[in-house]
Amino acid sequence: MIKAKDVVKVFHSHGMTIRAVDGVSTEVEKGEVVVVIGPSGSGKSTFLRCINGLDMFDEGHVIIDGVDLADKKTNINKVRAEVGMVFQQFNLFPHKTVLENLTLAQRKVRKRDKKTADEKSRMLLAKVGIPEKADQYPSRLSGGQQQRVAIARALAMDPKVMLFDEPTSALDPEMVGEVLDVMKQLAREGMTMIVVTHEMGFAREVADRVIFMDEGKVVEVGTPEHFFTNPQEERAKLFLKQVL
Amino acid sequence: MNATQNGWPWKLLLVVILLGTAAGTWGAVSKIDYKWRWYRVPQYFLYHAEDAQKIPFDGTVSVIKKSGKSTTVVLLSETQEQVEVTVDSDELKVSEGESLFEGDTVGFTRQWRLGPLMMGLWTTLWLSAIASVFALVLGLVTGLAKISSNFTLRSLAIIYIECIRGTPLLVQIFIAYFFLGTVFNLSRNVCGVGALALFAGAYVAEIVRAGIQAIPKGQMEAARSLGMTVSQTMIEIILPQAFKKILPPLSGQFISLVKDSSLVSVIAITDLTKSGREIITSTFAPFEIWMVVAAMYLLVTSLLSQIVYYMERRLAVSD
Ligand SMILES: Nc1ncnc2c1ncn2[C@@H]1O[C@H](COP(=O)(O)OP(=O)(O)OP(=O)(O)O)[C@@H](O)[C@H]1O
Ligand SMILES: [Mg+2]
Repeated sequence: MIKAKDVVKVFHSHGMTIRAVDGVSTEVEKGEVVVVIGPSGSGKSTFLRCINGLDMFDEGHVIIDGVDLADKKTNINKVRAEVGMVFQQFNLFPHKTVLENLTLAQRKVRKRDKKTADEKSRMLLAKVGIPEKADQYPSRLSGGQQQRVAIARALAMDPKVMLFDEPTSALDPEMVGEVLDVMKQLAREGMTMIVVTHEMGFAREVADRVIFMDEGKVVEVGTPEHFFTNPQEERAKLFLKQVL
Repeated sequence: MNATQNGWPWKLLLVVILLGTAAGTWGAVSKIDYKWRWYRVPQYFLYHAEDAQKIPFDGTVSVIKKSGKSTTVVLLSETQEQVEVTVDSDELKVSEGESLFEGDTVGFTRQWRLGPLMMGLWTTLWLSAIASVFALVLGLVTGLAKISSNFTLRSLAIIYIECIRGTPLLVQIFIAYFFLGTVFNLSRNVCGVGALALFAGAYVAEIVRAGIQAIPKGQMEAARSLGMTVSQTMIEIILPQAFKKILPPLSGQFISLVKDSSLVSVIAITDLTKSGREIITSTFAPFEIWMVVAAMYLLVTSLLSQIVYYMERRLAVSD
């Protein structure tokens, strides 16, 4: 389904060269939930952004459903429509209502008519538990509600895979649960997901596989049981000691 | 404690200062023995024009048909050519059967006409309006070019903006008229509008650039991650939000444009300022005319401010 091969992403800033992602390879099967963890600055976000081409990587290959992003002939917009992404800061469109947030890309990219897009949007808003907010502007919603709208917006494109970049990090603690519940439900329904998070409980409960990254490299990979009870690498042990 | 001082003593002080200024001005003017002639001003807004209707040939008045306020006079030339002339009934100067020479007055027509101040205002308004539209388009394109990743586009935008912002508008108008106008054979109106549009465009470009850059990067990323193209994202997401942010500085720029348009009077475009100057040469009321001209500019700019204020309130619904 998704295959990353020796992905390298280098940033040049202030005369320094940062290998934010340094030769990461992994494969994600259809319906699999992969959780990526690691200390701050380890390249988790950058890796995620390479998967949908928000950051164009310098070396390697990312192949989504047989389409190689490194191939110059690939239409990146088409690929992105198949890859949903949820951001830490929600990034809802503030000048559009909740419903318009959901319908915009359906109509512009998927070319659905208004009725179909509206129906699909209302169905998804019901699914994430806020059907009554359809005509509100995002600024009127709580953080948890905004993030659920953002998830619904990504789902409206019928993506093949969903990427989450610390979706609960910007939320007040009491709202984390409602967002994680939506994500758990998605996982149960068989959505392919790559999730960067610091919520170890979520990783334990939902992940099929945990990837631990540090300094742009994959340091350890394993099932949640293996990873949380018996990590092999020193750095992983150290990290777990800090977050658990 | 009191952060805003707007109690009645301060209002009183304001009134005293304003009255003092007025009285001081009045006193100074009376010393130089200036004769105010305000009564001469209204005719430059609106006047009752009287046009003489004349006979185009030597001939006779054959028929006079009165119908209410206007009268139709049928004139017959020596070669049996017929011409009808319409005049106001109470201004008829001929009678049936009278013979006239070419150029004799048959009668007068009277009608209300806009005076030079109104015509000048009209010129100022359309000049500014057209220049604004071009400035907006130019500013939008240049602003986008300035933040584009393409080196050539970016450099062109920077050169244009720096050249315009680093030179006086008056000089730009002279260059547009005496140099470009002569070389490319352009009319003075084209030169005037063009110079104003180029001038305002450079400032609009900077406003647009700042507005776009003020939109969080996450907006572009969210839209792109949904598969939207750069131009779709610009049109649907970035520009609408940026527009809301830049509306106050943008409207300030356009209001400035209305005022700056007074400089085109130097290339003999009869705008409000030029009309004022022309009126003063035929009347002896420079103080009155300049004050009226200033008041007319003030009226236009405050009206524009009000419209912008209303638009801002309308756009604030999503806050
Ligand atoms: N646009 C950029 N320009 C320059 N350097 C960048 C850029 N984005 C990320 N980096 C650098 O790349 C490295 C990896 O950053 P990244 O955001 O991927 O880390 P992360 O694991 O997501 O961290 P966090 O947990 O804090 O979100 C960091 O050293 C960061 O400073
Ligand atoms: Mg991150």
